[in-house]
Amino acid sequence: MTVKIERGQIVTVERGQRAARRIPGLGLLDGMAVVWKHWAGSFRKNQGFNDIHGVFTFEYPEERPKLPEAYRNMPILLYDEETGHELCTSCFQCERICPPQVIHMTQAKDPATGKPVPAVAEFVIEYDACMSCGFCAEVCPFDAIKMDHEFELSTSDHQKLTVFKEQLNRPISYYERIAPTMWAEVREGAMKKLQGNIKRRPDVIGMAPNLAEKIAARRRELEAAAAAAAAAAAPEAPAAAPAEGRKLTPEEKAAKLAAIKAANAAKKGGGATAPDTPATEAAPADEKAARLAAIRARNAAKQAGEAPAAAPAPEAAPADEKAARLAAIRAKNAAKKAAEGADGAPEATNVSAPEPAPAPPADGRPAPSGEAAGTGAAPADEKAARLAAIRAKNAAKKAAEGHDPEGS
Amino acid sequence: MFKTEELQINIGPQHPSTHGVFRMLVTVDGETIIDLKPVFGYLHRNHEQIAEQNTYLQNMPYTDRLDYFNSMANNQAYAMAVEKLAGIEVPERAEYIRVLMVELTRILNHAGALGFLINDMGMWQTQLAFGMREREKILDLFEMASGARMMCNYFRFGGVVRDLPPEFMPKLKELLVAMPAFVDELERLLRENEILMQRAEGIGVLPKELALAYSVTGPVLRGSGVPYDIRKAEPYSVYDRFDFDIPVGSVGDVYDRFLVRIEEMRQSKRIIEQIVEQLPDARGGHINPKARQNVRPPVGDAYARIESPKGELGFYLVSDGSAKPYRYKVRAPSFINLAPLGDMCRGYKVADVVVILGSIDIVMGEVDR
Repeated sequence: MTVKIERGQIVTVERGQRAARRIPGLGLLDGMAVVWKHWAGSFRKNQGFNDIHGVFTFEYPEERPKLPEAYRNMPILLYDEETGHELCTSCFQCERICPPQVIHMTQAKDPATGKPVPAVAEFVIEYDACMSCGFCAEVCPFDAIKMDHEFELSTSDHQKLTVFKEQLNRPISYYERIAPTMWAEVREGAMKKLQGNIKRRPDVIGMAPNLAEKIAARRRELEAAAAAAAAAAAPEAPAAAPAEGRKLTPEEKAAKLAAIKAANAAKKGGGATAPDTPATEAAPADEKAARLAAIRARNAAKQAGEAPAAAPAPEAAPADEKAARLAAIRAKNAAKKAAEGADGAPEATNVSAPEPAPAPPADGRPAPSGEAAGTGAAPADEKAARLAAIRAKNAAKKAAEGHDPEGS
Repeated sequence: MFKTEELQINIGPQHPSTHGVFRMLVTVDGETIIDLKPVFGYLHRNHEQIAEQNTYLQNMPYTDRLDYFNSMANNQAYAMAVEKLAGIEVPERAEYIRVLMVELTRILNHAGALGFLINDMGMWQTQLAFGMREREKILDLFEMASGARMMCNYFRFGGVVRDLPPEFMPKLKELLVAMPAFVDELERLLRENEILMQRAEGIGVLPKELALAYSVTGPVLRGSGVPYDIRKAEPYSVYDRFDFDIPVGSVGDVYDRFLVRIEEMRQSKRIIEQIVEQLPDARGGHINPKARQNVRPPVGDAYARIESPKGELGFYLVSDGSAKPYRYKVRAPSFINLAPLGDMCRGYKVADVVVILGSIDIVMGEVDR
């Protein structure tokens, strides 16, 4: 075959001499020389990319691989430690781009007005189905979602691979440590956007759950200082100001907020029978709401438990323990309410719209919502609330011992 | 003489020699193969149907999983198809980076393929470890650039996801220093090795005419003596700017395919050296600023093909103007190269089957899709 090619030629590979024509075993010995050379090299470390001899492996658990900055494993959410605010605004870009569709989120709402705010209420990533493609981090306009370097994720509990916001949250400094230049590139824009979003977030909405209490306490301090300053300026004021300030401890406030939220969610669940909402959609929505309420209640209880650690005064511990217990009880109640709401919802939809099948477990995402659905909801939520109470108690105990929850 | 009886046996479906879940229905007369029927589909995962329900960009990470050894090559073929369909321009620098990545992929694929081939012959691990060791270095480079070792997901429509990091080029130059020594060593280890020659010489001969009739491509076709390489026959990307040779075999047996792969590694190294020279002068950024994430190509169809390490890898896309492909078809080289397996094995012994299969160099992720 005569074929001409440009910029190169066709070369016929040279075949080795037939074994019969050579001294038998010579080729083998030649190959063995290579192997021996490698064996001799195995007593020293490999010198880098230009060295083909030496030991390439390293003893893994003791020696850690040095990962490049661009390394991506699983997505995480960033929050700013200074303000405690999360960078995520629930714009749903990552949820939309995700090829295996494993990101789910709900937008936060202002409890006073019910209007959506640029913050995320609940954020879930199913790590078990994530393909680590990194699209979510690529499309995020607020640089809120980034790819983690953590790769030791194996667990015997499958449930742990459905990861909620509390476990996804990482401080910015963490990401800055693993990817300094990549963060430096986007830092300015991200912080600017965050400042803009904080202004549109009322109260503690959009704060990292494990920091919300710390921030609220700090805010209360500032308010008290301002009030004191105002009192010094105007002698009329002091009668009202301290009473207002002492009214709620931050733990109580958070717990109350959670209780209100849970109650609202439950109410919404019960009220979803409004004729304008389509029945097929109503049922999963109710489940979601109920589940969300349960999560919030649990979070609130947890926060309440963890809060005392933020308070430096040791004498504060017993008071905080009390507050934590109170919060836990409230959370339990809220969860119960929520469960009732979830219980009532499917029935209600049945009554109002009988023709389209309500089919709550089949529709939507079966695994997470199925847990909260129907009759199974009540015991599960009760369990969660009980667990929350236990956790709150433990946390309070820990706090009394001076343990820092942020370290864990 | 003794009367013999034909016997049907299954080789597989569990990993017949580490190449994936694959079954061969073999009719034997004693030790001699009379007929062989490849049975596959065990790794079928509805790739093409999934792709038709995703947007164009969402398919990019799925193409990584086709031929998981050469995710960069898959990325390039798919990106080229979409760019052809949507009329997206790629800046020069991005083209160079793409070619660089695909040529690195070719080296690592051949290093791995040769390792598995020798592994199939019963020379346990040594050669495989040598090949894998060199492959690891290239994977380190991929990790540096794309963030992942194997599922790179590095290409985007109109370029690549991010420019090469500053530490990439020095490492690559170091690697190029070591590469000839590695390839020479590989050749010295095996080229005249008596075991390899006995197991490879004259085994699994695929005549030129039969190879063309089966539309076999890649090193298997070149091993049969047909100098067909898409990089030369229909230069895509910036391949027309590089000097490199096409190695061909003369007999078309396992040994020729083995030698062709070794020579191709040298040629890939030549290309990479030219890229390293030309890359600093390349114009344009690493990504086309006009390239969008939401591609909505006009109604029409496009077929783009590249010379992947295993042969001609093509993507055929039909657009109906929406954000999702209407039809998505992969022309997978492994699948088509597997077709003549029966003809290649006929007349040889049972023990030769795994060696012949190893010489085709298949990845079941691509065969079954």
